[in-house]
Amino acid sequence: MNQRTIVVQRDVQADQKADAATERERLGRRGTLVVNLLSSPGAGKTTLLEATARHFAGRRSMAVLVGDLETDRDAKRLSPLVPVAQLTTGGACHLELSLVQRGLKALGDPEVDFLFIENVGNLVCPASHDLAEHLRVVLISTTEGDDKPGKYPKMFRTSQAMVITKLDLLPHVPFSVKAVTEDAHRIQPHLKVLANCALDGSGIASWCDFLEEQHQQQLATYHEPAGNR
Amino acid sequence: MHERSLIRSLLRQVEQIVAVEGGGKVTEIRVQVGDLSGVEPLLFQTAFDDMVPSVFSSDCRLALEIVPVTAVCSECEHQFEIVDFQFRCPECQTKSVQVIQGDEVTLISVSINSNNSIEGVAS
Ligand SMILES: [Zn+2]
Repeated sequence: MNQRTIVVQRDVQADQKADAATERERLGRRGTLVVNLLSSPGAGKTTLLEATARHFAGRRSMAVLVGDLETDRDAKRLSPLVPVAQLTTGGACHLELSLVQRGLKALGDPEVDFLFIENVGNLVCPASHDLAEHLRVVLISTTEGDDKPGKYPKMFRTSQAMVITKLDLLPHVPFSVKAVTEDAHRIQPHLKVLANCALDGSGIASWCDFLEEQHQQQLATYHEPAGNR
Repeated sequence: MHERSLIRSLLRQVEQIVAVEGGGKVTEIRVQVGDLSGVEPLLFQTAFDDMVPSVFSSDCRLALEIVPVTAVCSECEHQFEIVDFQFRCPECQTKSVQVIQGDEVTLISVSINSNNSIEGVAS
């Protein structure tokens, strides 16, 4: 018998992270900004996407991959507005890159300005999976309490923006925008904080401006500046 | 329960290592799990116990080590442990800190028992 220990020291997700980086670069090079939207169930991801699609209509192109445990209800709501593919996880708590790639193929790999991934409603598991996104956005609705960031640190630590939704309900619920912002900034000081109400459209323009700005900034790295050679 | 997906990746990596090493019986897989990795150690262990018999023998042990979150301050270079997810330098109070350890799930080592001697004599 020969007993040996092989030292590895390797990230368990190294292969998936490398695949995601390759896919991110491929999409970025051709001008698609990939946005991964995460939240608890019912925070308003689909409603925000509907409002975004209306705002961008005729000016910016977008497609949506909708992750859902079983149903296709969210995909049905969005399909009159934008190209949508449904990613059914069959009960799994998060999306993985292979599902995203399958969804892209189902849409015919469209060359859009924005590809939104509506992740499964869950603030824990999706935080650990790179879906080739350029931008990770966590949504938090005014109805779910302002102590979420501290409870789900990884989600807020790995996101670049936090969108507070259902602002219209603020007078009726015990939720402080200031408290949630402080809690989130304690975990991720660079987190961009936005707030909106998709029902009456307030805040949607600044959310879309932020997306435009990210599109320009993040994808600029893929283009060689003119006169640089 | 994304722990199952992580165990799947882990077992795939170990399988590749065993193949490169020329086979053998895996007795222990050592893994470090960071406090900021989003992994629940108990669920990770349960998923491992559940899935390992289909790839390796069920007496293959998972040695799990929890790694605290460590950060380095980008202003004063002070290195410190993040307690209660307070991402702020305790020395200079700046919030510009970089996590250097504690957000990953790392395969540390694989212990293999093989009947083959080092010289490669067939069993
Ligand atoms: Zn400092």
